Amino acid sequence: RMLSKERRSGQKQMYCHENWSLSPEEFEIWDRLYRIKESDGIKEPVLPQSRFETLENLEEVTKREEEATHELSLSEWRIWQNRPFPTAMVDHSDRCYHFISVMEMIELMRDEQGDCSYELEIQPHLCIEDVNVQRNKSHRSMTTST
Amino acid sequence: QRLKAAVHYTVGCLCQDVAEEQDMQFSKQTIAAISEITFRQCENFAKDLEMFARHAKRTTVTTEDVKLLARRSSSLLKYITQKSEEITSSNMEQKEKKKKKSSAVKGGTTGKQEAPVTENEDSNMA
Repeated sequence: RMLSKERRSGQKQMYCHENWSLSPEEFEIWDRLYRIKESDGIKEPVLPQSRFETLENLEEVTKREEEATHELSLSEWRIWQNRPFPTAMVDHSDRCYHFISVMEMIELMRDEQGDCSYELEIQPHLCIEDVNVQRNKSHRSMTTST
Repeated sequence: QRLKAAVHYTVGCLCQDVAEEQDMQFSKQTIAAISEITFRQCENFAKDLEMFARHAKRTTVTTEDVKLLARRSSSLLKYITQKSEEITSSNMEQKEKKKKKSSAVKGGTTGKQEAPVTENEDSNMA
């Protein structure tokens, strides 16, 4: 019953726009409350574009005035990222926990000088038959060919 | 630990290549971090590949699944697709030479050969 009630009230509002776009009323609200204008004195937020250092980049580089936008940074607050941040409805993913662990590992290695604890811990387990020594070469020819 | 050691060694070699090309140096800690990221990323990849294959009602991971891993960047996808085609054509040659059948086994092996390539790209990205 709750559901059908909600749906009905939703339908009333939906009445004048069954379109994908905003209705005039919605546009008015957006324009007044949320839209970023020049007078707001804040820059438009944009996400950084993905770019590959080692491959030719096919993605079209959309030209935008760097001055007028604020590129959202994913690394500015890195010292906060060695612990899980609070969640609301969506739990952290495994990927996210991996990221947190690596940030913690980096934090622990930050003050190391010279010898690397990770290397010392792991080196004794190396079995030379596990690694493809030829791979070195093939990697180099790969990068030069591209 | 043994796997980590192998990854660490290989990452070290790759970083050295990059270091020579770019005329710069990686600290040991940086290389350690990249190998740990690579190692953990393999877990992500493995899970995704398994799910992609299962989604297509397969139990064998194929090159198509690997391509899905690379979907987020069109340049990476293009690169992986090229590599995949190279592998397929060289496999075809071998197939003609050896006159082997069993295409199912072929699919499996190309998938395995592809995987290290994506790992490399990933470690480069990091």
